[in-house]
Amino acid sequence: MGVNLAEASRHVVKSRDEAFEALFKSEYSRVAGIANRVLADPQEAEDVAQEVFISFHRLHSASAQFAPAWLHRAAAHTALNRVRGRKRRERRELAQAPEEGSRTVDPQRMLEVGEDRRMVRAALARLAPKPAAVLVLRASGLSYAEVAQAIGVGTGQIGTLLRRAEAALRKEVTRGTSI
Amino acid sequence: MAHLSEGTLRRLVDDPDALTGSDRRHYMDCAACQARNRGMADDAQAAATLLSAPELKLDVATAFKRVQTAPAAKPRFGFSLPILRPSTQPMFAFGAAAIVVALAITAFANILPLFQPKTVQPVPVTFADLQALEQLSAYGTLTWSTQPKPQIVLTAADAKAISGLDVPVVSKLPAGVSSTVTYAAMPGAVAVFTFDAKKAADAAAATGKSLPKLPSGMDGAKLTVTVGPAVVEVFGDMSAASGTDASSQNINLPQLIVAKSAVPMVTSTQVTAKQLEAYILSVPGLSPELAAAIRSIGDPATTLPIPVPVEYATSSKVSINGDPGVALGDNTGLGSGVIWIHKTNVFVVAGSLKQSAAVDIARNLK
Repeated sequence: MGVNLAEASRHVVKSRDEAFEALFKSEYSRVAGIANRVLADPQEAEDVAQEVFISFHRLHSASAQFAPAWLHRAAAHTALNRVRGRKRRERRELAQAPEEGSRTVDPQRMLEVGEDRRMVRAALARLAPKPAAVLVLRASGLSYAEVAQAIGVGTGQIGTLLRRAEAALRKEVTRGTSI
Repeated sequence: MAHLSEGTLRRLVDDPDALTGSDRRHYMDCAACQARNRGMADDAQAAATLLSAPELKLDVATAFKRVQTAPAAKPRFGFSLPILRPSTQPMFAFGAAAIVVALAITAFANILPLFQPKTVQPVPVTFADLQALEQLSAYGTLTWSTQPKPQIVLTAADAKAISGLDVPVVSKLPAGVSSTVTYAAMPGAVAVFTFDAKKAADAAAATGKSLPKLPSGMDGAKLTVTVGPAVVEVFGDMSAASGTDASSQNINLPQLIVAKSAVPMVTSTQVTAKQLEAYILSVPGLSPELAAAIRSIGDPATTLPIPVPVEYATSSKVSINGDPGVALGDNTGLGSGVIWIHKTNVFVVAGSLKQSAAVDIARNLK
């Protein structure tokens, strides 16, 4: 005995699209905020946020209970991966660039906030994925419970993870500036 | 009393009311804990400062339009792991096909062996790897000589009549999983892949890379892949509307999927498994990671590789009543599954479950 699949599919596709729109509108700011926290680049952060939503829509239903947690986690990891990719690209470009290239950089620019942010992001990207995600999610305003859901651990572990991640970040930043 | 833990002290930085009575008393009297707490507060402040970011000005409506008009979101190479997408009804309607086609594509994409596998092996891949595999379609043409025809039925007897397979019985459902079950079933389907040397050479020329020379006899060689028959059981009340409105927008997702399919079988003319594996490993664009993974699989004539997207899932080996299998876990911890081969059938148990629960169901399947 079959069921009316065409009718059911039409109804579900409509419901699915509406559920996705609602999810997008309620979570986009936060997802973009998490990516921006990692990248310190609003435009790239929006690219990441949109990529994350598209991936989610492809893989999961917007009605899934885990949707916000999945999006938060994916935003952090996708953005961190971009920073890691950026580092690799910069190393490659630096290796290929003529000597004069480096001399055209305005030394004053090194003192600007942008450069500090890049250095911090590089340090962040050197941390293990879990501590890096904990730091970013918490700094983006997620509660302990939300951070725990996003990374798949108990809420009771967040204090310890956060503490260790903060200490590790400080150490990495110090190491980065002393090189 | 022992000093307060690192986690407790760190939480105190964010929430001064977080301490319980006895912890609070200890903290008030303990200079060491207070000093540690101050150090943590300094680090927390430093981290907050370091992670400051430029202001974000968002236009959510415009952003949504951009996502809506993004190129059609489709899995690379038409492949996706069924367990990674809590299925909606359209997905459910084609659930049987999704699983067996995934297996067939796996068979084609990853090794192109001539095989009837007896065991499974996870192959970690990135989506970039899967995209690289897409290039394999440039080596020939794929046609279905018997199309996969999944059907939705409401009884196990109907599913058996269509597939010819005994439907697996879950001996004990985990708490919270609906006992309402719907079935998808399909008879066997047959795909034929024909190598085409000219097509492959053209594709290579277009990318500016030279294609490895096709082994003798490869041109025009046919691989015939038989997938299914298959049966899929979907647990969850798919038709129930939540709330009073029968046309409720809420979609009921399957909580558990149990699938059984005959192992895909590949036969060929003109080429051997060894030739094919060597050839695939020499294809330009194949990542070193995937090539290494393919080499690690072992005997390609008896192993079914399961691609595991590394961004989303982790895998581990498990034993299901003596048969080696692979347990997959979505990294979110919210979905998991297990896949194994018993005699001539591939089994899948997947759902919004803990991995241990999925393995437990698998071991007690009748």
